[in-house]
Amino acid sequence: MKKRNKMKKQYCIFIFLILLPLQSLVADGFTQRFPKPDFEEGYKIPETQIALARSGYWEYFDVALLTFLLSILTWLVLKKRSRNGVLLISVFTLLYFGFYREGCICPIGSIQNITAALFNADYFVSFSTILLFLIPLIFSLFFGRVFCAGACPLGAIQDLIAFKPMPLKKWVQSLLGLIPFIYLALAILYAATRSDFIICRYDPFVALFRFSGSFLMIAIGVLLLLIGMFIARPYCRFFCPYGVLLNWTSRFSQKHMSITPNACIECKLCENSCPFGAIDKPQSFKLYEKRNVMVQRLIFYALITPLLMFAGAYTGAKLHENLALVNNKVSLAYEFMNQEGLKEAEQNLEVRTFKALGTPLETFYKNASDIVRQFYIGSIIMGAFLGLVFGLTLSRLSIPKYKKGYWPNKGTCFSCARCIDYCPVKPNSIIKK
Amino acid sequence: MSKENKYLWLHKLLYRIAFITSIFVVLICILMLANFLQLKKSDPVNQKIINTLVERLYQNPDDHELRAQVRELDLLARKAYFTNQWQIKTGTYLALAGIAIITIVFQWIIINTKKIPESLLPEAQPLYMNNKNARKWIAIGGSMILLLALVSAWLTSLQLKDKFNEKLVQNKQATASDSVLQVSDNIDSNIADSSTITISANPTEIKDSNNVPTETIIEEDGSKDNFPIFRGSMGHGIVKQKGIPLSWDAASGKNILWKITVPLPGYNSPVLWGRNLFITGADANKREVYCYDKNDGKQLWKVEVKNIEGSPAVAPKVLAETGHAAPTAATDGNGVYAVFSNGDIVGIDMNGKLLWAFNLGIPNNHYGHSSSLLLVNGKVIVQYDQRNAAKLIALNSKTGKQIWSVNRQVKASWASPILIKWERKTMIIAAAEPYVAAYDPETGNEIWKNNCIGGEVGPSPAYANGTLFTVNDYSKFAAIKLSDPTNTIWTNDEYLSDIPSPVANEKYAIVVTSFGVMAVYDAVSGSKIFEKELNESVYSSPMIVNDKLFVTDKNGLTRIFKMEENFPEIGQNKVDDNVFPTLAFAEGKIFIRGHKYLYCIGKK
Repeated sequence: MKKRNKMKKQYCIFIFLILLPLQSLVADGFTQRFPKPDFEEGYKIPETQIALARSGYWEYFDVALLTFLLSILTWLVLKKRSRNGVLLISVFTLLYFGFYREGCICPIGSIQNITAALFNADYFVSFSTILLFLIPLIFSLFFGRVFCAGACPLGAIQDLIAFKPMPLKKWVQSLLGLIPFIYLALAILYAATRSDFIICRYDPFVALFRFSGSFLMIAIGVLLLLIGMFIARPYCRFFCPYGVLLNWTSRFSQKHMSITPNACIECKLCENSCPFGAIDKPQSFKLYEKRNVMVQRLIFYALITPLLMFAGAYTGAKLHENLALVNNKVSLAYEFMNQEGLKEAEQNLEVRTFKALGTPLETFYKNASDIVRQFYIGSIIMGAFLGLVFGLTLSRLSIPKYKKGYWPNKGTCFSCARCIDYCPVKPNSIIKK
Repeated sequence: MSKENKYLWLHKLLYRIAFITSIFVVLICILMLANFLQLKKSDPVNQKIINTLVERLYQNPDDHELRAQVRELDLLARKAYFTNQWQIKTGTYLALAGIAIITIVFQWIIINTKKIPESLLPEAQPLYMNNKNARKWIAIGGSMILLLALVSAWLTSLQLKDKFNEKLVQNKQATASDSVLQVSDNIDSNIADSSTITISANPTEIKDSNNVPTETIIEEDGSKDNFPIFRGSMGHGIVKQKGIPLSWDAASGKNILWKITVPLPGYNSPVLWGRNLFITGADANKREVYCYDKNDGKQLWKVEVKNIEGSPAVAPKVLAETGHAAPTAATDGNGVYAVFSNGDIVGIDMNGKLLWAFNLGIPNNHYGHSSSLLLVNGKVIVQYDQRNAAKLIALNSKTGKQIWSVNRQVKASWASPILIKWERKTMIIAAAEPYVAAYDPETGNEIWKNNCIGGEVGPSPAYANGTLFTVNDYSKFAAIKLSDPTNTIWTNDEYLSDIPSPVANEKYAIVVTSFGVMAVYDAVSGSKIFEKELNESVYSSPMIVNDKLFVTDKNGLTRIFKMEENFPEIGQNKVDDNVFPTLAFAEGKIFIRGHKYLYCIGKK
């Protein structure tokens, strides 16, 4: 047994070493572009076409397929309680939604489409995109995060590569678990102002799915996979903005996956089976502090939450200009402002584009000024929201949860069904107290 | 036989497969790395040998053999490049396939070697302890984020919105002239709507025979009693009026007929028509046109110019020495016309009623707009020489509608246009780097131009006896004979002005520099006749009054020189205020605008 464990470790190191140089090669190999030749005969090189979105029925085929996969996953998790089944669906998801559909459009990124449409009357969002956004949330509302279990290509690629997951301390998880809120807030801010779709731009795996992308993004993707071998699903747990929404909706699910099909006998076999630390352990009164201490703390956090919101709003207001510089119009206007000669710099692609659009400079500056104003308001709201999140998280961590048995945490559980296999209780077994 | 033992041999086999696959992947990676380095080294379009041959081909373009050789080498280099790319791509697929095999193997092993998990947490802490730690680190993490955000915001405070608005103000000019007509139309329809313009004082009905509208105001000799535009009737700086006092003193009140305080600052000069004296005043927030009774200095009315459509919310930044009301207004007896630093231009009738108003667009220059308005045959001429969008615009003085607009291929300027008459033809003269040009007042067509001026042109041209004079600092003092306007008859660069305009008569051409030197040149030959150190800066333009030269310095001291050999100084007269604007003359009176006061000087 020991020998086998040793061999496994050796292979893990091997894989680590393989992936490390590969990421640079893959990146460079993918990003190399042959310089365009000049044709004296007047031949015009065709313009690069961006891959068109799925059109017609195929859009709805993807939606239908996603719904079907979610239904299958729900059945596998709740009825069949089959980890292997979930794994197979994950492989299919990775191949189809990941490599074949190149990770686009996904429910995670659809947050931005929905936001952009909500804040901009002239932004069109297709019905299929709305469905892609809503369907996983609806499933989550009733059955937990089955989308994360096997219908998300980003989750699938990380899940398959989690060879040797290590546990993280609860406080580390709680702290890192706040990052998705920040990411979500920023994504909404940038989408609402039509500045950028940062979720897509910084999707760590889409470059791998497409065999193309910037060196940075491929490097981040490979790095996350390397980390993912030892810290399971790092992106899902500590970055995914859609996960925030799924976490919220999943908390209301009445038919969430359970570790045991019957009453929990607290045998502790499943205690550490979850590589994501998403199992709530039994808590008795003895394990908590004195009641008055907890009540006082809770009141304290309840009182400081508005202050945290104010601090967040103030910080957002102060930081809004830096955030606004991500917007192309704002950054170009800023460049124009600082470099008088830039407006004439024909070699600059952005300048050429600006000139080709024929926007008068005054309109350009006005637009930029309006966008900065939008960022001012958006940043205040974002800051207040994050202050609220921090305040509520602190409050939540002060509320005792007395419970019996081992239960998956409805918010953070990915419904991957790993823990199910560790439960000795069978569906029809009679539990004698 | 247990399940675990049953699969033991299979596990061993799989481990070996994984191991071999790993070696394969590593080898592929090494090969790809080598290939990549080679690819990076060889740039197919920048091969040394090909470049050398191409250079040689440029020298011998008819060498077909060499051409073929270049093509062959180029093809080889490109083939090598694409082969390398293909190898890298194939290698990538192979490596990914290897990783996929390893993943499958490990997943199979994980699935088939179920065991009770070891205790993953090193020590089991009570939940409240975990929560306590979590709260602590969240508080620390949150504080750090807050602090970092605030520090970075503080360190990189950009004031983007304000700066963009400022730029917006400066760049609005780019499209404004195109929309002049449209805006004018809007204004026309709004004239009756008093909400667009606030008239702060009740307009006074003035019955004055001199208020009869005239079609033309050209008075070539400057002999009339009106003073309609900057530097007199045609903008030449020549006045021929009787009874102009030669001595005054503000301290003792000698010949000071009246003195009033001007509400808002402005470096524009007074203009006069009949009984009415007009000046404008403005700061960054307020713009006003004032009308005074020239006989007693009583304010007849004032109009606050605001709520102009297209007017920027924020006034452009201007040099303190330019201010927001540097351009001198113009009056033709039908109305008074004024333009401000933000591009607002208005026409107001003699009773203070708004005729028209619109915004020309934010002047895009770095000192602030200062070119004064010119009037000719019912047209208000605006020299709007802005950066990248220089124009000369003619507006209907009654409606404000654009009559014509001509683009000028010149840099930004601060000079005012003048009128000249040559062989019965009236021409508008406008100077800016690189040329001085003449335009037909009726059509705006350019008649001629002469590349004789450079730099940031501030002084307006001077004209006398068929000769045009232009000057600017870091350029030259040049004379152009209108009989041959494209040639310069003489130039001199000893004393050059950057603010005061030159002035000339048939004998003398005079330049007063802003640093306080008066230089007199022979108008025909360009040779220097006389120079005098004035010991004070001069911003006001010199004026020729009959046979005398009036030069006013910044301290409000006006020196009067007799225009004859050696230019004898016949008077030094002071007002108790700093004076930047140019003096105005009407009906034997002098009107001096200082920073705070407006003086009327006449013989008591």
